[in-house]
Parts: sequence; C-alpha cells; structure tokens
Amino acid sequence: MRLTDLPLTTSFRLSVLFLGLFGVSSFVFFGFLFWKTTTYLNNSVDDRLQRNLGVYALANLAEVEQRMRTHAQRDPDGWWPFGLFDPAGHYLSGNLTVLPQRPARFRQYFEFKLRRAGRAAPFRGVADRLPTGNIIFLSENVTEIRAFQDLLLKAMAWGGILVLAIGLAGAVITGRGAVRQIKGITDAIERIVTGDLAKRLPTDRGAGDLDRLVHVVNGMLDDIERLMREVKGVTDDIAHDLRTPLTRLLGGLERARRRTTSTHEYAAAVDEAIAETKAVLGTFSALLRIAEVEDGARRAGFTKIDLGRIAADVVEFHAPVAEERGVLLSFDTDAHALPQMSGDPSLLFEAISNLVDNAIKFSPTGGCVGVRTFCYNGSIGVAVSDNGPGIPHQEREAVLRRFHRLEKSRHTPGSGLGLSLVAAVAKLHGLTLSFDFAYPGSCVTLERDLSGQSLTADPAIAGEGPEPQVHAISSGA
Amino acid sequence: MTRVLVVEDDAQTAAEIAAALADHGFEVECAVSGQDALDRAIADRYSAIVLDRMLPGGVDGLTVLGSLRGLGIDAPVLILSALSAVDERVRGLRAGGDDYLTKPFESLELTARIEVLLRRRTIPERQTMLRVGDLEVDLLKREVRRGGRDIELLPREYRLLEYLLRHPGQVITRTMLFEEVWSYRYDQRTNVIDVHMGKLRRKLDDGGLPSMIQTVRGSGYILRAAD
Repeated sequence: MRLTDLPLTTSFRLSVLFLGLFGVSSFVFFGFLFWKTTTYLNNSVDDRLQRNLGVYALANLAEVEQRMRTHAQRDPDGWWPFGLFDPAGHYLSGNLTVLPQRPARFRQYFEFKLRRAGRAAPFRGVADRLPTGNIIFLSENVTEIRAFQDLLLKAMAWGGILVLAIGLAGAVITGRGAVRQIKGITDAIERIVTGDLAKRLPTDRGAGDLDRLVHVVNGMLDDIERLMREVKGVTDDIAHDLRTPLTRLLGGLERARRRTTSTHEYAAAVDEAIAETKAVLGTFSALLRIAEVEDGARRAGFTKIDLGRIAADVVEFHAPVAEERGVLLSFDTDAHALPQMSGDPSLLFEAISNLVDNAIKFSPTGGCVGVRTFCYNGSIGVAVSDNGPGIPHQEREAVLRRFHRLEKSRHTPGSGLGLSLVAAVAKLHGLTLSFDFAYPGSCVTLERDLSGQSLTADPAIAGEGPEPQVHAISSGA
Repeated sequence: MTRVLVVEDDAQTAAEIAAALADHGFEVECAVSGQDALDRAIADRYSAIVLDRMLPGGVDGLTVLGSLRGLGIDAPVLILSALSAVDERVRGLRAGGDDYLTKPFESLELTARIEVLLRRRTIPERQTMLRVGDLEVDLLKREVRRGGRDIELLPREYRLLEYLLRHPGQVITRTMLFEEVWSYRYDQRTNVIDVHMGKLRRKLDDGGLPSMIQTVRGSGYILRAAD
C-alpha cells in the first residue's frame, strides 16, 4: 500500500473529519471548564479579601495598626501580605512594606509577584482608602491556585495530544483496511477481466457497506459464471449433438460413393442423407424457436385462450399413440370452465404436448399418464403425471438444460430440447414450472397465479412477466 | 400449363424453388426485385405467386402484395419468410397472402401448398357430397361410406378424411394436416400424425380393401381412388 493513497480513502477522510470535530468540541468544552474553575477560585480569594477589608474599614486607625501588627506576628513568612500606608503611599505598619504597585483604582483586585522562599510567587490583592485617607492593602498568596490551573492545562494538553494520536492512528488503520480491501477488490476484478471467472471479490466477513456491496457483486459474479458455464455447456452439447448426425451423414455419403453401384442404392443413400439433414435442421429450428420464445417476441401473438381446451386437444392428439404403446392416457379437470388467460395457443399446445409426449415415451407398457387442469385458490394450471421411472435426484436440476437427456434415454429419439422449450414457454406466459418427483413416476405442473390481477392487467402482455420459477419438490424419493 | 411467378432475391434459393416447382410440372418465372415482380405480374397472368417477404430495393414483399391486390390481381400468393413470429404471419395473411411458409422449408411442403392453393379456387365450397373412387362422404350427415359399407370415424378422423377428400390426388403434408385439422401451428416433429393416419387408413381399408391413403416419402399423404 502506498502511503500517498491513504488521504484519498473515504474512511481515512471521515476519520480525520470526525477527529477534527471532536477536537474542536473538546477544546470548547475544556476551555469553558477551565474558565469557570479559574473564576470560581479567584472569586473565593476575592471574597476572603473583601471580608477582611470590611473588618478594617469599620475600625479606627489605632485599631487598624494594632490588627496589622497582630497579623504580622501571625504570618512572619508573609504569605498573606497586609500593609497600612499613609495617603502618599508610605509604609506605616503590617507585613508588607512596599505597595506592589500604585493602585490605579481602589477596590480592584489584581495580581502581582513577590519574592518568597527564594523565588517569585503569585499573589492576588486589593487596595482601599480608609476614611482617614490612609491606604490599606490586603493580599493573598495564590501559588496553589496557579499550580492547579497549570496542572489542569497540562492535563488537557496531554489529553488532547493523546486523543489526536489515537484518532490519527485509528484513521490510518481504517484507511489502510479500506485501501487493502479496495486493492484486493481491484486485483480480483482485474483477474476476472482477464478471464478468471471463478475469482471472487474478497470480503472481511463484516457487515459494512463495502462488504454488502462485495456480497452483491459476488452474487452477480456467481450468476455470470453460471450463465457462462451454461453457454459453454450448451455449446458443447450443440457441438456434440450436431456432430453425431453430421458424422453419420458424411459417413453415409462417402460409403455411397465408394460402394454404391445401382441407382436404387444411390437413391437409398440420398434418402438417408436427406433424413439426417432434416434432423440437423430440426435441431437448429428447435434452438432458434427456444431463443425466439425466450426473447419474448411471441407475446405479439397473444390472444385470449382456454387452457383446458388446449390441454384436452393435446390429450386427444396423443391418444392414439398412447393406445398403441399400451399406456393409459386420461384427461381430468376439476373445474367446469377455467378462467381465460392470455397466451399463444400454439406454444402452449406444443409445451403441454412435449410433456405428454415425454410422459408417454418414458412410461412402461401398462403405465398411466394423467393430464389434469385445475383452478383453485386463484391459480390455474395443468399437471402432467406419469408412473414411469421418474427423474433421478441428481439429475433434476439439469433436466431443463438445453439438450439435456438422461443418460439412459439416449437411445430414445428426440433432440433433448423439449423441456427447455417448455421452460421458455412457461416463462413467456408467466407460468410456474414445477416438478413433483413422486416415486415411482413424476408430475410436471404448469401453474399461473391469477389472484390479485385482472386479466387485462396481465403481466405476460403488459410487459415483462415474472421470472420463471422452477421448483423441484421432493416427495418420497 | 400452370405458370408460377417466384419472387426471391437470393439466386440460389430462387433456383431451388424453380427446380422443385418445375419438377412438379409448373412453368416457372423468376423475379429478383419487388419492382420486377410487379411489372411481370401486371403484364402477364400467373396461376400462383411465391413471394419472398424481404426484398431489396425499397419495394418489399408486403408492398408488392398490397399493390397486386389493389390492382385486382387475385392470383394465390404464398409468402416465404425467415420471420416465424406469429404477428409476422398474421400481417402477411392480412395483406392478402393466401399462405405463409417459414424458411427453411422442404420443397415438398412448398409444392404441396401451391397445389392446394391452386385447387382451392376450382372446387366449389358448397358441395354436400365428396366422392373419390368408392369412398363417399356426406358432408351434411357426416357419414362415410366405402363401397356401400358405413364406416364409423371419430370426429378428428372425420376431419382428417374430409381435408384429404377436398384435395384428392394432391400431396398433403403433415404440417398442413396439423394446421388444418388441429388448428395449431408449429413444426410437429413427432410421429403422432402418422399414428392418426394409420388408424384412419385401417378403418377405411377394413375388410382387405386396397389402400386409398398413400404415404409420400418424407412428409405427406395422398388420397387416391384405389386401383
């Protein structure tokens, strides 16, 4: 860390600012305290002198001289110097022989110094003129008061220096911490920019604002990394799923040129090539369709649709296939008429059709596939259930990924894009896609919550629909 | 001879379309721009027009279509487009198009649709009895009879048969059947329609009768009088 960076950090600047504010307020507070204390102590000295002055003022000159002599005897060291002077200021009696200074005004308290015990000591005194015209001067040693004031001042100064030092140290420490964290963040971001997407911004495991920001950014990075991984996965899958038919196509064509002799065989080879090419084109079309559906462009074709009617059509469409495979396909609805929703009938037909097709494909002979539309608690939907082998626990998250096909179903024809399309169609229509993995079999539900929203204020046509919610509910598996 | 105008700016695609149509016995002329297409369609009579939606040079497919319809030229128009969105299709049909096909398409799909468009104009809609060979269908009573024997059909099977009967001797693709009979539009890639057709065929041919519905390799069916 460079020391020159320190004053640039927010935490250091804030610390210094608060240190300054605290210093100023402390200075004002202690100044007031010092002023009040000093005033109080001076006043108490002044009060004592005032009282003595009152006593002397009431006596006659002889009495004053007598008291002065008594006082001088009691205070031989002269720590309370009293003195009586004639109107011209010449000494008459007392333990103060010289007026410390010619008082400008009487009854005004002032400070002066006298030599006592070998050094100058501070005194506070007052002069007054007696009715006789003589001048009386009373004073008191204030060494202790001044010492106390000195102590107070020194304590305040040292305290101030200490606070300043601690405050500055604190500012440096927090500033350094911030600089270190920001440097860590900068380094991490630089590494991320250069391609290390697994890198995360460092946190202090605290709850500071910077840490909260770092948490949010790290969450965003998780998402980006997941998306990148998905894109890479999809690219790999596309490469794999397209390479296989293309390789077969190439192999077939090469074999045809090598071995084929009759027109009939050529025709067969061409037919084979056409079928393979169609399959490749079909995969591309499916990918483009998913992209188109995910793009939301199909919302332009939304009309009022009856989900129950579409589900019934799907069941009717697939009935002969189910019959042929010995699977019992049933349609059931718990509502006489589902409320209308807006949507693209062809897309919904295709989505439900994909689910039913899957269910029939993976059901054993004698199995059951049930399609049920429902309407309760303000939500409508359609559920497709089967008693096939179900989806293994560890593969449930991945079933929606493009091209994903369970390993054991690799031999079953299909592009593996069906469920991805279902998910995309569900998102487009604001439908929640959920998997209920009963054992044996599974149940896929497309559900839309219509409560609290009129059909005209339809999120799916008014703008962006809710995020697709994919729930995996485990039950008994 | 039936003359078809193909309006397509991409030379190779135009050549493919022309070849496919020529193989089906059509006489084909090609136009490469909207203006060219308008000039030709006004100067000559065509039985059908295959019109690309996107054309270079300011006059696009829908403009050509609008101008033709405005001039009273009512030749059936099949719109080709790379845009598959529903509203694109609706726009094309509203502008006066008779059918809409999304690229990439199979040549069989294109020729089958052109055939149907051409024939649609010649068969009167108000027929009550359809007959092909020994198969007859009473459209009012919804009764199907072959060689005097009544055949019981499910509603969907009846609609499949009716559509085939309205276009006897023509190739009808699975996509066309799906669109016409089920009224949903997307590229059906399963074999479900084959299974439906198989059931219908078994009912029609029950009792060892020669088959009337033939499968066209690739993607379609033809209904013909049994030999």
